[in-house]
Amino acid sequence: MADEGGSAFDAVEQGPEASQDDAGTPRGGDGDPSSHPSVTALQSRFGATILHHEVQAGDQHVVFVDPARNREVLEWLKDDPEQRYDLLADVTAVDYGGGKPIQIVYQLWSVGHKRALRVKCELPLDDLTIHSVVELWKTANWLEREVYDLFGVDFGGHPDLRRILMPQNYAEGHPLRKDFPLRGRFSRAEQTRRALSQDYRDDYTTELLEVGGAPGLAPPEPDGLTEEAEDTP
Amino acid sequence: MGLGDGESGDPPSLAEVQAPSQGEGREGGLLGSGSPTFLTTKVDFVVNWARRNSLWPMPFGTACCAIEMMASAASNFDLARFGMERMSFSPRQADVLICAGRVPYKLAPVLRRIWDQMMQPKWCISMGACASSGGVFDVYSMVQGIDTIIPVDVYIPGCPPRPEGLIYGLMMIQEKIRGESLSEHYSLRAEDPSLVGRPRAGTEEVEALAGPFGNSTQQERLSSFAQTTRPERSEDLLP
Repeated sequence: MADEGGSAFDAVEQGPEASQDDAGTPRGGDGDPSSHPSVTALQSRFGATILHHEVQAGDQHVVFVDPARNREVLEWLKDDPEQRYDLLADVTAVDYGGGKPIQIVYQLWSVGHKRALRVKCELPLDDLTIHSVVELWKTANWLEREVYDLFGVDFGGHPDLRRILMPQNYAEGHPLRKDFPLRGRFSRAEQTRRALSQDYRDDYTTELLEVGGAPGLAPPEPDGLTEEAEDTP
Repeated sequence: MGLGDGESGDPPSLAEVQAPSQGEGREGGLLGSGSPTFLTTKVDFVVNWARRNSLWPMPFGTACCAIEMMASAASNFDLARFGMERMSFSPRQADVLICAGRVPYKLAPVLRRIWDQMMQPKWCISMGACASSGGVFDVYSMVQGIDTIIPVDVYIPGCPPRPEGLIYGLMMIQEKIRGESLSEHYSLRAEDPSLVGRPRAGTEEVEALAGPFGNSTQQERLSSFAQTTRPERSEDLLP
């Protein structure tokens, strides 16, 4: 181990440093809204809800929206005949560290108009809640679960908000947050023990397991507790 | 490349594996007890010949090492030359578990279960840096060496190892089988049933193995845990 002081591993132990720049989330300068019809339409319709607009990488228009009204804005973008952003390509999140707000990113594509738009919502770290858009795009279901799993963002109204990538019994937090240590919070021995005690049945509902015909199914305990994994080979 | 202990017991039992001539403490096996007789050595020869020339690998390929494993099985390198004719995708019919690639913690119980499902006698190859030590993936989600989960007979270094490396590792398994004896069969291969579904390594060992950047930088510290002695071979590798 890196006991002999001043080892090269110290930096690994400490994890990534937060950015020293406390001037808020990095933002580019204001873009020219007239070059993208959806941006001008958004600004005229929603006014102050559209907090900021910028252009990245030449032609990627980014619109910052008040997170309290994300659902309303996205629904209009999807349903308005002039916009028709019918494809939600991605829902993801960015943590810039240093206590800055976490950005939720919606990457939209309009198949009919062949237009792309990126909508961002900034959530302060002490209030990571935002409305789910699963009712608008079904694909947001697993994408929002992923953001919840890795960043701990609570999507209100999500039908099935639970972990999707990490094990269901994972208890160390949300790994892609900047304040998460690189090797996790538990010791390696504890991580190994927990990993081997996970039960694949936790990943599915009882109905799904019955449909799949999983052998030797024991229905879950009435109190919701599953027994310790004592699997026989 | 070195031989680890191929069983779940204490490290001292490894000494018995590597020094089969040492006759003390050997319980009665299938064919009686005591020093090897003419009968047992001849039966050993035949049984070991059959076993080492019909090793069926169970491929557990999770990453780029699996590409090299597939290349080993394909016509250029042709594992079938050594009796690994059939990649056994069912653990029940497999003899060698080849863990090729990184194993995340979420996959750990799957790997453990597959190992538990394999029939005795069975062997395990840890192929590549990630399976052996976690490799560069010294992060929250990765198992830091599958020897914390299951016993490993042969570690193959490389990122990924070339097919020659995998073939050499399989031939090391063959060498190991050559030295086995039916009279000590049960002490050689037996696993503690209480270890089924459990981590193989104890807390202290896991912590030592999983230091920063895996165990690749800390070989000295591990000398009391992981046996890295070169196997004693009375015969040449290639007879």
